[in-house]
Amino acid sequence: MPDASSPLVHLDALTKTYREGDQERAVLQDVSLRLERGDFSVLMGRSGAGKSTLLNLISGIDSPTAGRVRIGDTDLTDKSETERTRFRRSHVGFVFQSFNLISTLTVGENVRLPLELAGAAPRATKDRAQALLDRVGLADRADQFPDRLSGGEQQRVAVARALAHEPLLVLADEPTGNLDYDTGQAVLTLLSDLVTDTDTTLLVATHDPEVLPRADRVLHLHGGTLHEEVPEYITSGT
Amino acid sequence: MTLLHRSSRRYLTRHPWLMGLSVLGVAIGVAVVVAIDLANTSASRAFELSAETVTGAATHQVVGAGGALDDDVYRRLRAAGLRPSAPIVEGYGSLRRGDRTFQVVGIDPLADAPFRPYLGTGAGSDLDLGTFMTDDTALLSARTAEALGLASGDTLRVDIEGTTHAVVLSGLISPQNERTRRAVANLLVVDVSTAQRLFDQAGTLSRIDLLAPAEGSAQRAYLDRVREVLPDGAQLRRSDTRTETVAQMTKAFDLNLTALSLLALIVGAFLIYNTMTFSVVQRRALIGRLRALGVTRGEVFRLVLGEAAVLGVVGSGLGLLLGVVLASGLVQLLAQTINDLYFVVEVSELSISAWTLAKGALLGVGTTLAAALPPAQEATAASVSTVLRRSTRETTLRRRAPGWAGVGLLVAGAGSLLLLVTEQSIWAGYGALFCVLVGTAFMIPWAVVGLSNGVRPLLGRVAGVIGRMAARGVVTNLSRTGVAIAALTIAIAATVGVGVMIDSFRGTVTNWLEQSLQADVYVQPPSLVFRRSTATIDSTVARRLRNVEGVKGAYSVRRVTVQADVGRTDLVAVEPGPETADVYQLKAGSPESAWPAVRAGPSVLVSEPYSYRYDVGVGDTLRLQTDRGQQAFAIKGVYYDYGSDLGVTLMSRSTYEQYYDDRGVSGLAFAAADTTSVDALIADMRTSVAGLQDVLIRSNRALRETSMRVFDRTFTITTVLRLLAIAVAFIGVLTALMALALERRREMGVLRATGMTPPQVGGYLTLQSSLMGAIAGILSLPLGYVLAYVLVFVINKRSFGWTLQLTVPSDVLVQSLVLAVVAAFLAGLYPTWRMARSSPALALQDE
Repeated sequence: MPDASSPLVHLDALTKTYREGDQERAVLQDVSLRLERGDFSVLMGRSGAGKSTLLNLISGIDSPTAGRVRIGDTDLTDKSETERTRFRRSHVGFVFQSFNLISTLTVGENVRLPLELAGAAPRATKDRAQALLDRVGLADRADQFPDRLSGGEQQRVAVARALAHEPLLVLADEPTGNLDYDTGQAVLTLLSDLVTDTDTTLLVATHDPEVLPRADRVLHLHGGTLHEEVPEYITSGT
Repeated sequence: MTLLHRSSRRYLTRHPWLMGLSVLGVAIGVAVVVAIDLANTSASRAFELSAETVTGAATHQVVGAGGALDDDVYRRLRAAGLRPSAPIVEGYGSLRRGDRTFQVVGIDPLADAPFRPYLGTGAGSDLDLGTFMTDDTALLSARTAEALGLASGDTLRVDIEGTTHAVVLSGLISPQNERTRRAVANLLVVDVSTAQRLFDQAGTLSRIDLLAPAEGSAQRAYLDRVREVLPDGAQLRRSDTRTETVAQMTKAFDLNLTALSLLALIVGAFLIYNTMTFSVVQRRALIGRLRALGVTRGEVFRLVLGEAAVLGVVGSGLGLLLGVVLASGLVQLLAQTINDLYFVVEVSELSISAWTLAKGALLGVGTTLAAALPPAQEATAASVSTVLRRSTRETTLRRRAPGWAGVGLLVAGAGSLLLLVTEQSIWAGYGALFCVLVGTAFMIPWAVVGLSNGVRPLLGRVAGVIGRMAARGVVTNLSRTGVAIAALTIAIAATVGVGVMIDSFRGTVTNWLEQSLQADVYVQPPSLVFRRSTATIDSTVARRLRNVEGVKGAYSVRRVTVQADVGRTDLVAVEPGPETADVYQLKAGSPESAWPAVRAGPSVLVSEPYSYRYDVGVGDTLRLQTDRGQQAFAIKGVYYDYGSDLGVTLMSRSTYEQYYDDRGVSGLAFAAADTTSVDALIADMRTSVAGLQDVLIRSNRALRETSMRVFDRTFTITTVLRLLAIAVAFIGVLTALMALALERRREMGVLRATGMTPPQVGGYLTLQSSLMGAIAGILSLPLGYVLAYVLVFVINKRSFGWTLQLTVPSDVLVQSLVLAVVAAFLAGLYPTWRMARSSPALALQDE
């Protein structure tokens, strides 16, 4: 477990470039960031600004061209692909725009999957999954396959799955992008309630301004660099 | 079961058709390999078992130079105190009842017990020895007698070399153990004197069995004593050499069948590769999600291989069952071919060996796993981000197609080099063939792109936008279509290759028969082995036939098996006539010098297969065991002969009679007088020998037709194997098209939503599958030609030593093209029907 006094996410001068033909294109340039335990942060930016790339680097899905990524006490930069994957399955939860539930597993099994991957006993995974599904209001749908659920319901399952193994960090990539306004708000409420209850760090990449009022911190990615703005509701004291 | 495995299992069960067809593909591949192996094993087991049974406990045998041994040798051995020893006269006969072939074994009941105690002739036996040794009586297995409804005292009618003999069943053999009971099922045991009468070989034996002391100085001393007693020409040999010789005879034949059976498995491997690639491609997004959730590359790799293993295990299990069923049909075909070509074998039951089944299962699962390795590898490379679409992969594949074609060219080139490394190895020949097949498979995606793009404008003109779409679709789904076309191409090419090879072979044999059958009438006793008839024409029959009015000339042929320094050798003794030089066309040596030398003295000609098999040629010397001791014969020529792949040595009748005591005749060829019609001569000949030995009297044309019928019969198994390989390829194309249909549901949904009618969708897809067939057909022609070339000039040459003339009949090529298109068209019907009738709303729905 990480030291409580150190930041949970520590990005140090991250750069990520891609080769496009003979040219190299920098998606991220010299990005540094510290996220504390329990922070609810929002990452804003236009399409193609590099939000997903940054999430991929933080989760260890991808590795940076330069700079370092540290989550808690673990420096992911020097880890192998397999080590990063093992770290991710123990300490990171994901919520995607298109839900990305596993179509060949039932709702309950989808929630149990991260627990099982982390090595939990089957009995414990069942109880935990049932409790989480209860929490997201889908306890009675545990045995159904994802294609029987509406978009909002699928995203609620995805939220439950992201939190099932009690990760240190939850990364959400446009979690409301495929949902209508009301459903999106309900999912956001659920997500923020759950991370608050469990003191989990949450980073949401979005261009939905409706997310902003819930955030502790708002980060902007523009031209490959990161800028932070203090949310208005904090400066105004509301 | 973990959730990952559960997810995997559900994926498999959600695609029952695809998975079922893949399992069937593996099953047929395994079944063919197992069936051929079981049939081969059963035939050789049957032979071994009967050979072992007849050999019994004998450690050594004394045999004569020309197959027959004076029975005085036996008396000499007994007089020298070399006991136990037992005389044997053996041959084959057909029992009228049940139309079964039996090995007829003549024994001396007083001397035989130490060798074959299970025959029940020893002390304490209830056999009436007096009757057995004096009258024409026989013993038969109790089980066989029961099956044929026979009892002691019944009279049996036995046909031997055209003569029917009556023998009385005087007792039944009931060995203690099951193995021996099975082994004696096809034995007809008679007294040695009875056997001499039945086979018309008074005063001679087939061999004498000996029981030497165990290895060591005692054995050496014993064998030295035996050799001292033996006259010139008689030879002492280990009793197990016979079985070894027989195994050698059919080695190349067995190997070729095995190689051909592997073809179905290779085509099956393409099918598995296709299915597994499809399953991976279709689940790229799902695998990407799993990877995002923390599933490692290794776990994904093992998951995909695990799925393949399940398909492999189920397919192989089913294949083993199918293989046993198929083998029970093939074994009789195989036994017939062996009887036609090599030796008499009666395979009454399939012997199912655990080793064969284990090999089949291992091969099935192994091939499946090997075929699934590339897709499993591909699965691990699935991007964790879930936005990568298959089109990216298709674009990459198209870009890489020329590179793969280059690799294919290298692999095929390596195959050609393999042929240069060794000039004899059949395995190297098949290795080269395999390299050519695999190399071509690598080139196919590139060729598919080229051909589809080439045909696109034409299809556009004929069928409008649907035509252009059909051609484009083959290219845009290259990862699916390429493999399906490759599987079909290889199966059809194999058909072309084997078809051209058989036609070339047939053409060569037809020409050869025309050349070598120059007499008007041919006479020979019926023989159980068509190509190696060593049966003897009764001397009275021969004399009467020679004297029939209208006969201008008669030439005899004697075929016997003798011992040579290189092993058992088929020897043919001919009476050289004026046309002999035309009949035996020389490949090496000059007719002007060879024939006078053969007529004059200890000189021989050898057939082309003999020259190849034993690596001998003009100028070499062959040492043959004769009744005058071992004798050197100079090889003066090598002649073309397609009658026996075992090879033949030819000498003149006068030389034969000089070195061998045998005066028998195996066949007679007659020239009709100019004024006599051949049909009338045949009728007169039949009348002249009526009531005597039942010999086959055939015109030149009839003999040629019979020969070609036997030739065609020996290729029946080959044809069956070709058809099975095509069946697997058909399933391959069906699987690929089903996979495409599933994968393109959404695309079809869009087309339907934008106004394409179900018949239009059907037309589009049918056109596409037919185009795939046509491409496979076109590509299979040059590949088939290359395969035929290798089969004719490399495999056949290395297996049997034959020089064949390659002929490419146009009908084989046209048939193959039609077959490819029809196979693809038929395979496309069901997926097309499904796709055309599916609801566009459902197809457009997200999962």
